[in-house]
Amino acid sequence: MAISEDVVIVGGGLAGAISALSAAKAGVSVRLISHKESTLRHASGLIDVLGYPTEDDPPVVNPFDALDALPDSHPYSVVGEAEIREGLALFDEITGDLYAGDHTDRNALVPTQQGTVKPTARYPRSMATGIGNDRAMLLVGFESLPDFDAPLAADHLEAVGVPFASRGVTVRFPADLRADAKLTRFATALEREETTTALAETIEHHIDDAERVGFPALLGRDDCGSVRSTLESHLGIPVFELPGGPPSLPGLRLADRLFEALDSAGVHLSTGVPVVGHETEGDRISSVLVDRGSHTPQPYHASEFVLATGGLVGKGIDSDRNGVHEPIFDCHVPHPEDRYEWFLGEAFGDHPFARFGVVPDGKLRPVDTQGNLEYENLRAAGSVLGGANIAAEKSGSGISLATGALAGRLAAEAI
Amino acid sequence: MVDAPAVLVIGGGSTGCGIARDLAMRGFDVTLVEKGNLTNGTTGRMHGLLHSGGRYAVSDQASAKECIKENRVLRDIASHCVEMTEGLFIQRPEDSDAYFQEKLQGCRECDIPATVLSAEETKAKEPAVAGDIERSIAVPDGAIDPFRLCVANALSAQRHGARIETHAEVTDVLVEDDTVVGCVVRHDTGPGKRTHRTPGTTEEIRADYVVNATGAWAGQIGDLAGVDIEVRPSKGAMVIMNVRQVDTVINRCRPKGDADIIVPHETTAILGTTDEEVDDPEEYPEEQWEVDLMIEELSELVPILRESRTIRSFWGVRPLYEPPGTGTTDPTDITRDFFLLDHKERDGLAGMTSIVGGKFTTYRMMAERITDHVCEQFGIRADCRTADEPLPGSEDFEVLRDHMEAFGLRSPIGRRSTQRLGSRAEKVLTTDGPNPVLCECEAVTRAEIQDAIDQSGTDLNAVRIRTRASMGNCQGGLCCHRMANELHPEHEEPTVRTALDELYQERWKGQRHALWGEQLSQAMLNHVLHGTTMNRDHDPARQETLDFDAFDTGTDRTRDSNGD
Amino acid sequence: MSNDQNTDRDRLSNERTSEVATAEATVPPSDERTTDLRPGADNCYKCTACDTSCPVAAVDDEFPGPKFQGPEQWRLKRSEDTDIDESIMSCSNCMRCDSACPSGVPLSQMHNTARGEYVEGMSKLSREYVRNRILANYGRLARIGSRVPRLTNFVMGNRVTKWLNERLLGITSEREFPAFATQTFREWYDDRGGSKIESEDRRVAYFHGDYSNFNTPEVAKALVRVFESFGYEVAVPEQRCSGTPMFANGMLEDARRAAKFNVETFSELVDEGYDIICSCTSCSMALRQEYPELFDFEDTEQVATHTYEAIEYLRLHEDLDEAIGETELEDESALAYHAPCHARNQGLHRQALELFRELDGVTIEDVGDSCSGISGTYGWKEEKYDYSMEIGEEMFDHMRDADGTTGLTECPTCAMQMEHGTGYEIDHPLELIEKAVV
Repeated sequence: MAISEDVVIVGGGLAGAISALSAAKAGVSVRLISHKESTLRHASGLIDVLGYPTEDDPPVVNPFDALDALPDSHPYSVVGEAEIREGLALFDEITGDLYAGDHTDRNALVPTQQGTVKPTARYPRSMATGIGNDRAMLLVGFESLPDFDAPLAADHLEAVGVPFASRGVTVRFPADLRADAKLTRFATALEREETTTALAETIEHHIDDAERVGFPALLGRDDCGSVRSTLESHLGIPVFELPGGPPSLPGLRLADRLFEALDSAGVHLSTGVPVVGHETEGDRISSVLVDRGSHTPQPYHASEFVLATGGLVGKGIDSDRNGVHEPIFDCHVPHPEDRYEWFLGEAFGDHPFARFGVVPDGKLRPVDTQGNLEYENLRAAGSVLGGANIAAEKSGSGISLATGALAGRLAAEAI
Repeated sequence: MVDAPAVLVIGGGSTGCGIARDLAMRGFDVTLVEKGNLTNGTTGRMHGLLHSGGRYAVSDQASAKECIKENRVLRDIASHCVEMTEGLFIQRPEDSDAYFQEKLQGCRECDIPATVLSAEETKAKEPAVAGDIERSIAVPDGAIDPFRLCVANALSAQRHGARIETHAEVTDVLVEDDTVVGCVVRHDTGPGKRTHRTPGTTEEIRADYVVNATGAWAGQIGDLAGVDIEVRPSKGAMVIMNVRQVDTVINRCRPKGDADIIVPHETTAILGTTDEEVDDPEEYPEEQWEVDLMIEELSELVPILRESRTIRSFWGVRPLYEPPGTGTTDPTDITRDFFLLDHKERDGLAGMTSIVGGKFTTYRMMAERITDHVCEQFGIRADCRTADEPLPGSEDFEVLRDHMEAFGLRSPIGRRSTQRLGSRAEKVLTTDGPNPVLCECEAVTRAEIQDAIDQSGTDLNAVRIRTRASMGNCQGGLCCHRMANELHPEHEEPTVRTALDELYQERWKGQRHALWGEQLSQAMLNHVLHGTTMNRDHDPARQETLDFDAFDTGTDRTRDSNGD
Repeated sequence: MSNDQNTDRDRLSNERTSEVATAEATVPPSDERTTDLRPGADNCYKCTACDTSCPVAAVDDEFPGPKFQGPEQWRLKRSEDTDIDESIMSCSNCMRCDSACPSGVPLSQMHNTARGEYVEGMSKLSREYVRNRILANYGRLARIGSRVPRLTNFVMGNRVTKWLNERLLGITSEREFPAFATQTFREWYDDRGGSKIESEDRRVAYFHGDYSNFNTPEVAKALVRVFESFGYEVAVPEQRCSGTPMFANGMLEDARRAAKFNVETFSELVDEGYDIICSCTSCSMALRQEYPELFDFEDTEQVATHTYEAIEYLRLHEDLDEAIGETELEDESALAYHAPCHARNQGLHRQALELFRELDGVTIEDVGDSCSGISGTYGWKEEKYDYSMEIGEEMFDHMRDADGTTGLTECPTCAMQMEHGTGYEIDHPLELIEKAVV
């Protein structure tokens, strides 16, 4: 028998989850189909809205003041400021005390594991003590975690000109782990109080004049609050995490929180299976085809569909030597015909490939080369949308939230 | 020898390093200067084939005979750089029978062991070859790591007292009384190991004799010395596959043509190549059609290549040379033989000889020949020992045998480390602290990176060619910063940052030619990791001071009171 | 371990002393070559989603994670390399890495193949090998044990036996062996005269697996009754173990034999118009995914294409949701549902929740998306028992927090773990459907 819903969301990352929650909030039945784990697992866990609207300028203090600088084709220009605020509001509601930063429009400059600072709009509560003010900072790294060199990061922060002293120390992790132990192993080990206590004892005599201590983001797999408070009560000063990855535990924790929210909102979830095609009736999509194992794909019916399959990393946008395409609905993805115009000569910068994605109309419906709707009942959200260089702008999460919230709501309203 | 003659070798490719080693072993006071890293020129841009001679068995039998001879030598003296993969010359239905017979005959004439394999036997050996092939000839081709080989030659030269200066560009050749007496060299960051952000210096290096071993760049050194050396650089494109589709060198058995060889090289397979004359060994177009041609043509031999991931492409320039007046028009017809140009005999300029032409496989023989020539100049009688004495890393096979139990490394990390380090493995991998893997794609541990840093200072590209770190499928996205972290605290933060930026840019350069499919996704992931997560693209350390107070300073602040 | 020492030495001495082996053209016959999975490494872009999803790597740092044992290990392989790190034996084969990888790396296939290679080189007399062989071939022992179920149950539950098992075999004494039913499912099925329904166009062949035959026949009986109530003829052909525990222990030859038998038997029925249904998600996974990945018998693909998990089948072909929605159950305990890892890769891990949330009188709660930790035979190994319980801790916590004291899951070994960790009674969704619709 047909599996049928009002709205089907394809893709389970930040944009897909927010779309689903936004639609479910409007009272319609929603199914979210997600093939693999979301790219949140390798993202830092920070929620950027906009840091650098232009290539050469310093970071903007208030992202909302900088929206005018973006081109018309940018997803933010398409949805407008109010929808960005809507998306953030929905995010704040879902994440509750897991995140901070909603007290102001201004960006925070969060210290990273690299020793840079990064402008972001929302940050995990576990990172909150790392930002701002003039308290001296001690960074702690571990011998067998080569991604994070705490003394180097501290020196880098000095080079950045942060208004506080920073110092780093590398110690041996108190549980005797192998040199190639995964990050989740560190995190799980710290969920045992004796390990956390031993860690506190290891770094106690390094504290000196430091007024806060930063660790790479591994203070507990799920329960980073209790690991931090154990450390804080031993050390007597605040403890925070520094974003990094992959892998990224803050991203993982956010993915878990989104899953809980989807579960309690009654969203139907089909995960682990890919959408491999679709069926149409006239200008409308009638179902998406889901491959469950090696069967003939099964149709999942709905009235409205949201495409939130991600960009090049999430495989929502795919490419070969001849071109760039969107694999499920074959929506138009503008790109230079010559493959050698997809990129710049320098590693960083405004690479055309970073902006690959589908083109939305004002209601986030993908359009074809002529500007006509691809399908009347298809909307797109998140990184599958083109027009933004999320890596350079620091805008990825904000775009996912804004377009996800809007696409979900519009889909529900269309029922 | 108290008054050993001082010889300056210009060029840190295989020939230059080989010459430096040979001269040093025969007692000369040797200095080698190279404007970039070792292998910076053609050596670092070859397909990694250790020729059996089979490729030249019809067209150039003299070269073919030299190849098989040196092939046997290198297996002995450079065993840790060589993998004896064997090679196949495969005949497709459209390829001529007559040429197949010629090839077989040619191999036999040149003392190259050659066996004919039926289509079935060929496929049993290499399951990835196309179903419709006719047959093949098996020959003792191999794979060789040019980086490791060069570094080992340089290391051996150093052990025999040579001075090796990389990032030292010759800016002038000193000529006095129609005799070359040395060179002026510009050290990028001062003499000795490279340290980023250290100011450059200029040094006058006097020598009793100068050897110009700069290959395709020989004409430029000639210009500085006022002599004319007409090298005819010819570019060849090579495409690196992410994994080995084959474990045997695969050659197309046809007279000549582009895109006819696949070399299983370390963890990858390298497709080659083209042959097109260029004006300048550094400035030439690197084009899309060349990449596409490799994939399309070679998938006729190995069909899976069409859908496989490439991680990079690169171009090398052959230092082809032919004596004035030969007049060959097609670069594929220019001989692969090498020439000693004694500028005294040729141009009336004493004190310098150039070596041009030749092939990587015969680098040692070329070095021997020119060292003999230098010996003659000084009336020195000393035997060449480079064919008998193993290179550093290839001395002792016991270590290789025991690698699995040693060093607390898992397989295949232990296996790969030992394959790279050879007999140096024990010394390098024995450490006190934890020894995590820094480059996961190529299985390179911290200890190996540290060893390479000891050799080459802050130059992470030099670390890369010694270890293969950052040469895997993520092209450094996940490990460049880990490698850079290892430079600290010996080197200061700004130096580390500059070194990291340089490596990251270098990795980007070759990767651009592979940007579709998985590698484009990889590039975006790297871009997001280094841009979004690390904010390295807008690193505020490079910019003006930020007004921290203007930003969100948090809600749990103690002393400030910002916020809306 | 150093399986490759000899090969390495041979290769090295070849390099040194003789012309390469070309002259002899020594080529292994193609069927002796192991599957070359290196091309699968092309899909990996190091995002490490597999590593963060691995329940074993989070508690046991002897296991270096699925990425290392998968794409990295394969990418570093040359044709003559045969050494596999022994840590492959710490993988529990939960296959969560498969459902994590955003890029389609065949992780579990890589692990299964590598494990097979590793076990090839293992001493056949080692305690570990013998123990694993016994665990992997549970069905054979069950066949013997279930002939005298009461005696077997007594002996296996005996403290002395457990002590001996742990000491001699390395099978943990912490767990209770599952009791054998006094009448197997197949005996029951034969006694009742086979399927009560005959149908030309609605016919399913039931792959019940060993466990529901010998230990939980009530699940298998429920399946038969439920399908009959929807008008299906249910065939129960001869069959062997699906192979799941054999893959997990690297016993690929045992698995091959079992799989060959199953494919031959069931493909005949497919030809006659039967679809294949399973009550265990690991069995359906084996037939659907692992058989095609590891074996190439003539009809492997055909069997895979026609295999379904039982409830999935009903939802696709019947209006099960409506049938459930129309009924009401009384006096049901609140259910704590755990989705088996192997259900995830088939898109089935929310199916029971979706279904029973429609059933009046039943409250059902998801106890989180963690692995139960037992992973078939993994949690039975003495050296893995503590890890198994540590992995399971999250699920146990959620179960304790849940309202009722009845657990629900499709997987028999997950059920063992749920019961072991909480003392709850554990049902199979089919039993609940039976109550609701039969």
